[in-house]
Amino acid sequence: MKNITIVMMIPAFLLLSCHPRVATMPDSCCPGHPVTAAPDEPAVASNSIYQLDGRWTDENNRLVALQSLKGRVQLVAMIYTYCGYTCPRIIADMKAIRNNLPAGVRDQVGCVLVTLDPERDTPAQLREFAREQGLDSHWELLRGSAAQVRELSMVLNIQYANAGNGNISHSAGITVLDREGRIVRSLQGTGVAGTEVVAEVGRIAVP
Amino acid sequence: MKPAIVILLSLPLMFNRAKPETALGDSGLAGMREIPAGRYRPFFRSVNESAIVKVKSFYMDVHAVTNAEFLQFVRANPQWARSKVARLFADENYLRQWAGDFEPGTQTPSNSPVTNVSWFAAAAYAKWKGKRLPTEAEWEYAAAAAPEGMQRNTRLTAIILGWYDHPTPTILPPVCSTYRNGFGLFDMHGLIWEWVADFNATVTRQDGQDGAAKRFSCAASSLGAADKEDYAAFMRYAFRGSLQASYTVASLGFRCARDNNH
Repeated sequence: MKNITIVMMIPAFLLLSCHPRVATMPDSCCPGHPVTAAPDEPAVASNSIYQLDGRWTDENNRLVALQSLKGRVQLVAMIYTYCGYTCPRIIADMKAIRNNLPAGVRDQVGCVLVTLDPERDTPAQLREFAREQGLDSHWELLRGSAAQVRELSMVLNIQYANAGNGNISHSAGITVLDREGRIVRSLQGTGVAGTEVVAEVGRIAVP
Repeated sequence: MKPAIVILLSLPLMFNRAKPETALGDSGLAGMREIPAGRYRPFFRSVNESAIVKVKSFYMDVHAVTNAEFLQFVRANPQWARSKVARLFADENYLRQWAGDFEPGTQTPSNSPVTNVSWFAAAAYAKWKGKRLPTEAEWEYAAAAAPEGMQRNTRLTAIILGWYDHPTPTILPPVCSTYRNGFGLFDMHGLIWEWVADFNATVTRQDGQDGAAKRFSCAASSLGAADKEDYAAFMRYAFRGSLQASYTVASLGFRCARDNNH
């Protein structure tokens, strides 16, 4: 857990430690959305990522809306299948979180991988990747347009850029969504499948 | 000098001069300028990345989007009104300087740039206009042009750093009130900060491939680089790195861009 805290503090720390002029600028920008259920809740919560419209293509070449993920806790990550370094570790973390849940709870938790490389990660490539990685039907692999991917990265607070040589520079993170699609936790970095995280996912997964 | 410092020596390089003003009769391009193709050297880059990025010709708004213009958008798209906006798309300070949902009020002159707008709101406005937000490369390239008629021994960086030194005034001056640059664009520096489409494209956090975190965590090396020019660019990149797309900031607005298909 200590590691997670430190990694999460890095962006804030970078600015605070740089120069006071930089540190004062983003003053008014701390959102801090509390995750509370309003008594009269609309179909999609105001701070739910299911506010995002648009259709994505899954590994079976089916069109899906993000809203179809509603109703279950989801672990979401942005990856690309040609990534040789960080992405396999992110996926290992997601597997670890899921596998460490009690059997009855595990089925209430889905995993979603969204590709950062829609050009090369065709549905066929995603399907092959799912097979290699041993990802079962609880996993959803999604491909969208460049604009959709950029927009989702904004919502999930993932930084990425195409390095132009087949590699994509990206920050590593797993976002935990509650059943309504609200961000409960952003796990930044890798090696984040600690017992506390597993316990929290288990807690919110069961109605 | 450490090798890392070399990467920081990099305000955009200009290889092209602004063309004489192009007449833009097409209504969709009114208030925009054609920016010629050119090259831009990113402030940060990964080891494998190319040092020079080519920027294709595009159109850019002459000035930032004003309160009056944004009001039209909100009237036409009431889901973007202050009391209606989804929390996913804007934090609670969204348009907070306005008097009401459809009332900019006395603190926000109609001709001043709209601020306290999130990236999502800016992107939605641009889409509504049939435009888009400029990329970071386009914005930096366009902003690197010197002010018109600038004295030979004056440096653009001095102007920028002078502005960075002053706090944002409570009531923002109107657009087109600072300077016009060689591309015919007003206020690229000196009035507000501006959103770009891919502000999260500089990877500042660790654990991603080729993360630039180490470079950012060493602001001292930027200061240590003798050229102050680096520091102005460093601040813009650091500021962008501190943002999230739902954030709103009193000194942060935007302008739109458009592809040039000719």
